Amino acid sequence: MMKLSPKLSQKLSYMLLFIATMLAIIPVLIIIFLIIKNGYSAINWKFLTSMPEDGMRAGGIFPAIIGTFAIVMCAIVITLPVGVCAAIYLNEYAKDNFLTRLIKLAIVNLAGVPSVVYGLFGLGIFVMFLKLGVSIIAGALTLSIMELPVIITTARGALNSVPQSFREVSLSLGVSRWQTIRHIVLPNALSGILTGTILSIARISGETAPILFTAAAFYVPRLPDSIFDQVMALPYHLYIISTQIPNMPKNIIYGTALVLMMMVLTMSFVAIFARIYFRKRRKW
Amino acid sequence: MVNKINVKKLSCYYNKKCVLNSLSINVVKNEILSVIGPANSGKTTFLRTLNRMSDLEVLFSRAGEVFLDEENIFDMNMQFLRRRVGMLFAMPIPLPMSIYDNIVYAPKRLGLINKKTDIDALVEQSLKDASLWDDVKDRLHTSAMRMSGGQQQRLCIARILAINPEVILFDEPCSGLDPISTAKVEESMLELKKKYTIVLVTNNVKQASRVSDKTAFFLMGKLIEVDKTDTLFISPKEKQTEYYITGRFG
Ligand SMILES: Nc1ncnc2c1ncn2[C@@H]1O[C@H](COP(=O)(O)OP(=O)(O)O)[C@@H](O)[C@H]1O
Ligand SMILES: [Mg+2]
Repeated sequence: MMKLSPKLSQKLSYMLLFIATMLAIIPVLIIIFLIIKNGYSAINWKFLTSMPEDGMRAGGIFPAIIGTFAIVMCAIVITLPVGVCAAIYLNEYAKDNFLTRLIKLAIVNLAGVPSVVYGLFGLGIFVMFLKLGVSIIAGALTLSIMELPVIITTARGALNSVPQSFREVSLSLGVSRWQTIRHIVLPNALSGILTGTILSIARISGETAPILFTAAAFYVPRLPDSIFDQVMALPYHLYIISTQIPNMPKNIIYGTALVLMMMVLTMSFVAIFARIYFRKRRKW
Repeated sequence: MVNKINVKKLSCYYNKKCVLNSLSINVVKNEILSVIGPANSGKTTFLRTLNRMSDLEVLFSRAGEVFLDEENIFDMNMQFLRRRVGMLFAMPIPLPMSIYDNIVYAPKRLGLINKKTDIDALVEQSLKDASLWDDVKDRLHTSAMRMSGGQQQRLCIARILAINPEVILFDEPCSGLDPISTAKVEESMLELKKKYTIVLVTNNVKQASRVSDKTAFFLMGKLIEVDKTDTLFISPKEKQTEYYITGRFG
């Protein structure tokens, strides 16, 4: 076989890597482009702030936006403290024994369980066994269970990024372990935890399967009064209007998709900028 | 001559491997004991055992006793012990906060001070005692990470002085410093021994001879010899000590 000159093989491998990158990016760009092209005409203030009308074929998606917002906020309020506490325990306190390693392994693997499994779990435990019914709280708990491993993993990463030497210095000055965590470790891990949380919010905002049986309703003609109410949710609403309703205007479907996508993308960008900002301010 | 620290048959192990072998030694109050010896002879382990930092490590185990003013440190609360026995690490490690906050961090956590005027006075006094005040008095609220290595190391000394310990442990405090910074640190050590008892681990034999009252020579986890610094350097009893201090030792 002919041997390629170093220069040529350099060029070839560069091309190959470039093509692979394009293959990853182009479909995403096409999707975004199509959604914007077909959906932007539906987007206006009324679409975002009014109730659906005419069997959801007209009007707005306000209750679905509110529903998604309510479920996701509840889920984060539950997940964040539990996840951060678990991460602190695993990283700063737990002895490195068989049980700890088993728990860490389980957490990593739980992040890979399909989300529909969590949905069924939520239906069994929260909706039926705990009799919470199909409700915001049941959906939020289900999303929490699903997102906990991710939050724990990011929080542990953030805690690990604080140099061990800072802990040693603090302890060597007679400061207690908890005060060291509270005053040295947590403040310096906060940025990482925060960006991880924003990404988690973005991720669970788009999830359908976990809320399908636990929180989301086909159509609710009013806004929720409490966390025990059923709500409409953007991803599920999108699924319904694109598959279940005949003669659905195309721009409303795409418009709904556009709203959901913008919510998720905005949060991801906020997370990216937050990360850049905190990295610049980092003091070591 | 009052013994401040009294080490009795101390043995230390990492992962069951013996790194300090039945060590007995005294440190006299208001004296500087320096510990010299080649790398891996257990000097750092010895220091970290004196304020029980090594007890935080999973693989570490030990036998024997260490008395601080007649009280066995292994029966003491670790936090109280570390308040009395401060430690300076080889690398200067400022906490990621301002110079001012570095000094007040521990005293605040330990509840030693509350009033704003007391705090300011404490910061000034600690920095003066570590001969750093004149360098930094105009920028107390800037990040401690932006000081030179020598200044950082003196800040770490000031930070320890702020909790007013009885003993200060130095682990090769000048290994990363230039000669002028080193001279300054040595100067402050001589000043400090008036109030504190000091154990100095150093890889610099000359430094030991310059600042210490007594010198101990460690080799492979064993205390080979300890004596008045002058005596040890002029007429060591052991051949190994002589080889090491004259630089004929691998
Ligand atoms: N954290 C640790 N884990 C395992 N072994 C260690 C640890 N720290 C030190 N040792 C071992 O203990 C011995 C003594 O080390 P050390 O006290 O650091 O010596 P020195 O400070 O004189 O160079 C070395 O053989 C080293 O490998
Ligand atoms: Mg050492």
